[in-house]
Amino acid sequence: MLKSKTFVKKTRSGGVMKVVREHYLRDDIWCGSEICTECKQDSTVLQRDACIESNLCTFPHYLVPDTNVVLHQIDVLEDPVICNVIILQTVLQEVRHRSAPVYKRLKDIIHEQGRHFYTFTNEHHRETFIEREPGESANDRNDRAIRVAVKWYSQHLKTDESGPDGVRVVLLTNDQGNKQKAEDNGLLVYRFEEYIKSLIANTELVDRLALSNEDKNEIASSKILFPEHLPLSKIQAGIKSGSFIQGTFRASRDNYLEATVFVQGEGEDSNEVLIQGLQNLNRAVHQDVVAVQLLPKNQWVAPSSVVLQDEGAAKDDDVDGDEEEKLLKQSLTKSTRKATGKVVGIIKRSWRPFCGMLNVSQIKESTRHLFTPADRRIPRIRIETRQASTLAGQRIMVAIDGWPKDSRYPNGHFVRSLGNAGEKDTEEEVLLLEHDVPHQAFSQAVLSFLPKMPWIITPEDMAQRQDLRHLTVCSVDPPGCTDIDDALHCRELENGNLEVGVHIADVSHFIRPGNALDKEAANRGTTVYLCGKRIDMVPELLSSNLCSLRSNVERFAFSCIWEMNHNAEILKTRFTKSVINSKASLTYAEAQMRIDDTNKNDDITKSLRGLNKLAKILKRKRIENGALTLSSLEVRFHIDSETHDPIDLQTKELKETNSMVEEFMLLANISVAQKIYDEFPECALLRKHPAPPPSNYDILMKAAKSKNVTIHVDSAKALADSLDGAKVDGFQYFNTLLRILATRCMMQAVYFCSGMDSDFHHYGLASPIYTHFTSPIRRYADIIVHRLLAVAIGADSTYPDLMDKHKQSALCNNLNYRHKMSQYAQRASVAFHTQLFFKTRGILNEEGFVLFVRKNAIIVLIPKFGLEGTVFFDSKDKASPKLVFDEEGPTLKVEQHTFNIFDKVKVTISLDDSNIQHQKIRMALIEPVIPGVSVPVPEAEPQAKKQKLDR
Amino acid sequence: MATAQVSEAEKVYILHGIRDDLRVDGRGCEDYRHMEVETDVVSNTDGSAKVTLGHTAVLVGVKAEIGKPRPMIPDEGYLEFFVDCSANATPEFEGRGGEELGTELSNTLYKVFNNQHSLDLRSLCISPGEHCWVLYVDVLLLQCDGNLYDAISVAIKAALFNTKIPKVHISSDDEGGKEIELSDDPYDCMRLDVENVPCMVTLCKIGHRHVVDVTLQEKACSVASLVISVTHKGVITCTRKVGRGSLDPESICEMTEAGKRVGKALHSPLMKLLQQEESLGKKRQKVGFLG
Amino acid sequence: MAGLELLTDQGYRLDGRKASELRKFQARMGVFAQADGSAYLEQGNTKALAVVYGPHEIRGSRSRALHDRAVINCQYSMATFSTAERKRRPHGDRKSTEMSLHLKQTFEAAVMTQLFPRSQIDIYVKILQSDGGNYSVCVNAATLAVIDAGIPMRDYVCACTVGFVDETPLADLCYAEESGGVSSLALALLPRGGQIALVQMDARLHQDHLETLIEAAMTACKGVSKVLDEVVRQHLQEASVHSRE
Repeated sequence: MLKSKTFVKKTRSGGVMKVVREHYLRDDIWCGSEICTECKQDSTVLQRDACIESNLCTFPHYLVPDTNVVLHQIDVLEDPVICNVIILQTVLQEVRHRSAPVYKRLKDIIHEQGRHFYTFTNEHHRETFIEREPGESANDRNDRAIRVAVKWYSQHLKTDESGPDGVRVVLLTNDQGNKQKAEDNGLLVYRFEEYIKSLIANTELVDRLALSNEDKNEIASSKILFPEHLPLSKIQAGIKSGSFIQGTFRASRDNYLEATVFVQGEGEDSNEVLIQGLQNLNRAVHQDVVAVQLLPKNQWVAPSSVVLQDEGAAKDDDVDGDEEEKLLKQSLTKSTRKATGKVVGIIKRSWRPFCGMLNVSQIKESTRHLFTPADRRIPRIRIETRQASTLAGQRIMVAIDGWPKDSRYPNGHFVRSLGNAGEKDTEEEVLLLEHDVPHQAFSQAVLSFLPKMPWIITPEDMAQRQDLRHLTVCSVDPPGCTDIDDALHCRELENGNLEVGVHIADVSHFIRPGNALDKEAANRGTTVYLCGKRIDMVPELLSSNLCSLRSNVERFAFSCIWEMNHNAEILKTRFTKSVINSKASLTYAEAQMRIDDTNKNDDITKSLRGLNKLAKILKRKRIENGALTLSSLEVRFHIDSETHDPIDLQTKELKETNSMVEEFMLLANISVAQKIYDEFPECALLRKHPAPPPSNYDILMKAAKSKNVTIHVDSAKALADSLDGAKVDGFQYFNTLLRILATRCMMQAVYFCSGMDSDFHHYGLASPIYTHFTSPIRRYADIIVHRLLAVAIGADSTYPDLMDKHKQSALCNNLNYRHKMSQYAQRASVAFHTQLFFKTRGILNEEGFVLFVRKNAIIVLIPKFGLEGTVFFDSKDKASPKLVFDEEGPTLKVEQHTFNIFDKVKVTISLDDSNIQHQKIRMALIEPVIPGVSVPVPEAEPQAKKQKLDR
Repeated sequence: MATAQVSEAEKVYILHGIRDDLRVDGRGCEDYRHMEVETDVVSNTDGSAKVTLGHTAVLVGVKAEIGKPRPMIPDEGYLEFFVDCSANATPEFEGRGGEELGTELSNTLYKVFNNQHSLDLRSLCISPGEHCWVLYVDVLLLQCDGNLYDAISVAIKAALFNTKIPKVHISSDDEGGKEIELSDDPYDCMRLDVENVPCMVTLCKIGHRHVVDVTLQEKACSVASLVISVTHKGVITCTRKVGRGSLDPESICEMTEAGKRVGKALHSPLMKLLQQEESLGKKRQKVGFLG
Repeated sequence: MAGLELLTDQGYRLDGRKASELRKFQARMGVFAQADGSAYLEQGNTKALAVVYGPHEIRGSRSRALHDRAVINCQYSMATFSTAERKRRPHGDRKSTEMSLHLKQTFEAAVMTQLFPRSQIDIYVKILQSDGGNYSVCVNAATLAVIDAGIPMRDYVCACTVGFVDETPLADLCYAEESGGVSSLALALLPRGGQIALVQMDARLHQDHLETLIEAAMTACKGVSKVLDEVVRQHLQEASVHSRE
């Protein structure tokens, strides 16, 4: 076990600093193979009969991929067919430096025991370490290190098992030079494609291969279509000198020949550069970070209002583009010209696998097809597949491999199929993927950090916690809730004051900082709730069992306990880790019934009544302080228990008990926020809600004015008061509509790190400080807050990342992003279910209100369904009516009728499924009747569909 | 120690011996003590050398940093010297005790080494007026047993010989902005030409004779000494009288002649040794302080 | 770029050591003739030189003398070229002063000062090259120098810097580990009695982990003491062979 030898590695970094590090070589690093008798290893990973059936290798063999194979072909490596693979440390380190996502995926495979992936620490092995030679590049050295390790393995295994039935080692590389050298060294080496194609009965893996350079050459036409991208060094120099601008490329949704590059400036000072035309777009893909050069001013153009979709077929590559570009040019007027530029280079690609559908090539034998992504901002991708006929009509995922300058479309490869288009599971998968919601099953590595079952509370646990099992704690949640984050209690103390406790699931007890489980949760950031489906942030064992504060079981909690007087004034606050035993898990309705039922006088009910009384006082105080009560319609679907199709929908209704629970959660969050900020002024994770700029309220004020109501927006308090006072006789729904509009004026609340910001105010809650503490099962921010609080009260230890404001700030960015995406996904899910619902309902006629007025349309809200839809007054196939838009109102005059905001209308609702990738709800006007615009009242819904439902 | 106390009887003994060209340790007047030189002893410097001369021990480290050229000479790099008289050498140097001696030594080193004659300072220029290499030559005095100048100069020459400066190339863009890029290959480095780097010889006047490489005891008998720096060609680049006593012009001339002779003879075995060590490359067993 | 991975899944550290392994020790006693005791110690790439003068009469003001024991006087300094980025001055900055003080405390606990009343012992330590664990290497080097000077000590003082990563204590940190966000603890131990002469920790660590960390540090220090003992015995053997000749 002694160190064998000392080597010195010298690296130069930054200015001129000579860094010297020791590098120990060992002779106790084992090979990890079952057949080895020489190595004194406790356990082995690589199997004796390592067999992947292959035409090329008919003998047992281990695979050694090089770095580029891992980086580019991770999709294939992830397939369970590939097993018994040796991952060299050299490769692992290079992957780690070059791509964090691939590194994570590789680590997940390594952790899966069934896959038999072994990490060989070759850089520290006495016989496989090599030093860089003079004149050798770092890459060449690593390639050589890989060959040396492969050589070592083949010799090492040969001597152990005599005869030809020994296991051989196969190096997989796509680098010609490396392959040649390996062959010269007498190693068994194949190109990755070569090897995968040789696999028997796994032909579908071939489709998943990323295209290597040679294949690309084959496809591309000889004609060069795009200007060359500049090398990174030139780009950097250009950005420094100001001749190029760096920004994020945002493709236009409506026009494939147009994009904007968003340039992040100082503070609010950001601007956009317009890019038009294929040549100028120069192969940039949505969300790439690109370098842009501005065109001379006389070439600047205005954004076109034309809708253009790339409909070109695969073969007539470059022709159609030019035609359409001409179309673009016509639409420019001088006044609206914007800064226009062209893409000169790509700084960072943000390619991910894209969802979409295959356009099967008209040529039957062709294996090359175009793929149309669901996201219109992503260009079509050319892929090669032999299973086109099967894949047609399916939603599939495709990854981009590259975009050569002589190819009209990027080249990519098939990753996997998601299922038939239009099916519920498939569409759910698509919307999760498109909103970047991590939803794959938890990896073995993650699961390995779960507590072992049966889980019991040990005396040591009890010693560190306060025993609160005797308290009458209960939880109040929506029906069917299995991840119960919070529970409450209230009791009278001997001195006449009230003790109120909020008990939050102690998730941070189970999720320790830095382990795989923690990293996964941090990445997911939040649990995502779709209609009838939940994508957990933490594995179910925790979310629905060990952390969930269910009734009549002992659970760990993090408790926030106040002593209050009867005026709900806080006298004392304390925080403690505790053990509780909830006496009841109630729904909002059940809790409400208990409170209302005067016959009931048990402890739970008394506790609830106490809470309710205090909550009302708290709410009143909060509103007096200027907290806003806003409104948005939330829809609940009644899902058929068998088919899982939505059969009815209703808007969520709020009970007194909802607000009771909410009040105490707010109070706990504020108390905790104050505590962690006091303790860690530099690194407390808080949540703020910035006040919106006054201009945001324009639409609200105009809308209110149209009904002769004045809204004051000088402060949150003024807004809240004027909303409360806003009433129109005979129009009950007016106030709700106004609140819905006000909600739209608000800014997004965000997480931030206290050391990186100075404005902490939460506008909506009118609280100077706020955080999230009460839902650690479904929000990662709460876990961090729990950890901070635990450190603050000395119940847990800190770790470096927790105290690092920059890391925490980066974490906040991720959480904000995940939070936003989860909301989008949720909305998309509701929209999809709404579509499903209307699909089964046929055509419906409903009453609604005008929410917004646009130049050519009105947006209508149907309160019954909480559904918003657009009624267009112009369409392609019909002459449009006379439209007069007045921005001041805003009003829209259609022929003789003028639409105001809040007007009551009647519409017919139907599903437009003409485009299978983009189905949508279509609304048409019935009332008021405008000749040539409104439609006649359609027939009642067809009977057939109803029967189907009754089944 | 920096000074030694010597009794009258001892003084007489030493003086009489030197008069007969026989010193206490058996050497003649122009003989050096046993000297050991080893380079590349501190791996995180760009060049280093350790020299022991009798009981005198010095360690020199050279670090190259990118700096701005002096405005008067925009096309040259320069050297910075710092002499750390550490308390390890003698408790007298504790705290700020060694600073005076350190400043005196480093001032002399500037004069002797930081000029175009001893080192091609132009080769240290990266882009005139903007960037140049600054070589920080740090001398660490570990033990003093007389004759510091000589030991230090030999160590500096050896350390400069050993110095490897990373190669840089300047990429400039259209706007004239310049960026310095370091070579990614650790073997790709620049060496210094140390041929003209002088060595310093200290001669002490003891009685009527001029003695080279004095021990502390001998120094106590001396009234004054002369430090001269000599190149391998025998060119004298600097002389300086040190010590409290006075010298007559005649003995200065004689001492200069003797110093020239001794100094010239010092260079060739040193260079031979350095080249021999260099040729061993990685195979060389490093000894450092372990030997 | 991703930060450094301090401990791989396979349990290897940046430089290839396992969590509890020490770096390579190389040492020599009696490096210098003029001092009363001296020693040179390499612990990996951290290299220190320690010299001891004394016991001798109090230097300077007599009032510093203690009537019942010797005064221990320490100075810690670093060669200007010892760090990756050049230091402006070798000693006298706040950190070196603090380090000197720590050394003094450590050796006051170990040296049998009561044997030399009214006298002074100087311990000077110089870091020639720094790669983490400077304090510990200095203590270990000084121990050897004190032994070389023939000054009686209760026991070897052995020091080690340990850190805590991924719930695992790492022994004998190198610079990359120290600066890579590990909460580190330096501990000096008198191994035979298991007495702790000095413990220092600046980072934040939960109390529960402190025990495991100290445990690990003590194990590491015992490892150090074994190595130091070997060095001393080797030196004595060589010295006795020398004198016989």
